[in-house]
Amino acid sequence: MSEADYNPLPVAPEAHQDSETEKYHTFVNLALALAAITGVELVLVYLPFHDVLIFSLLLALSLFKFVAVIAWFMHLIYDKLILTLVFGTGMAIATGTFVALGFILSRSNVDMDAITQF
Amino acid sequence: MSDTATATHDDGHAGLVIENKKLLMWLFLGSDCMFFGTLISTHLIYRKLYPEAYDPLTVYDLELTSFSTFILLMSSFLMALAVSAMHKGELKSFRRNTIGVIFFGLIFLACQVYEFAHFTNEGLTLSTNTFGSTFYLMTGTHGVHVAIGIFWLLCMYFYSYTGKMDAHESAVDVEVAGLYWHFVDIVWIVIFTAVYLIEYI
Repeated sequence: MSEADYNPLPVAPEAHQDSETEKYHTFVNLALALAAITGVELVLVYLPFHDVLIFSLLLALSLFKFVAVIAWFMHLIYDKLILTLVFGTGMAIATGTFVALGFILSRSNVDMDAITQF
Repeated sequence: MSDTATATHDDGHAGLVIENKKLLMWLFLGSDCMFFGTLISTHLIYRKLYPEAYDPLTVYDLELTSFSTFILLMSSFLMALAVSAMHKGELKSFRRNTIGVIFFGLIFLACQVYEFAHFTNEGLTLSTNTFGSTFYLMTGTHGVHVAIGIFWLLCMYFYSYTGKMDAHESAVDVEVAGLYWHFVDIVWIVIFTAVYLIEYI
């Protein structure tokens, strides 16, 4: 890549530069934490602990990764509340759909003999 | 955008309180959440209804999937750096990080293609059983999202060489592309736990 290809953009204000530098350190720490958590998850499933404990830990770690990426990488904590509400609405409907379907289509509510014919 | 709106953003930019593109992307991501929520729900419910249909542990390779997850998380990190670089007006840093994201995205796709080929060789296809149908539909849809993200970032990368990039407007464009990429990452975080890890308990 030659220098001629590089078109410098106007430099951002100093205060803005400082906030971006601060974010950089947050991003690095978060990336390290996410990588470590993925490693822990991989090991967890092979440990001889009770299933409920493993399940709860996996759920908690997954939830942490999910929220961390949304909050910091997607800048949601730096942005306006309305964006959180917009995304939260979609998330709430998705979660509600999952819970509702889980209850409606549980084995006790489904005639297994009838549907296995198809 | 209206010239009369002069509110200042938390990140220092002058302009409207929320850019239209950003708001639209968040609306899209909210609706995409419902889309993936339905796909993941369908897979999990069929797993619960037909546990005997297929034993995925015979084909799963958890080390490979963990590697894919790690790659996608690191691509998200690079994407955050690319957005930050664009906000600072550092075009070179933006290009470097964007190429990194594209490279990691391609590695993820390669892992998925390898996994699908392995599963097919083991006899699990889209029409084998309910597990195959819901698994391929869900992970395949996610893969398509990754491919679209890679194409989008490639377009932005080449566009950065045209000299038409505007400091504020392009920063918003990159941020919107970044939101999409991070969303693809969080969907995989859910799939990794709900579809792969849970099977090992």
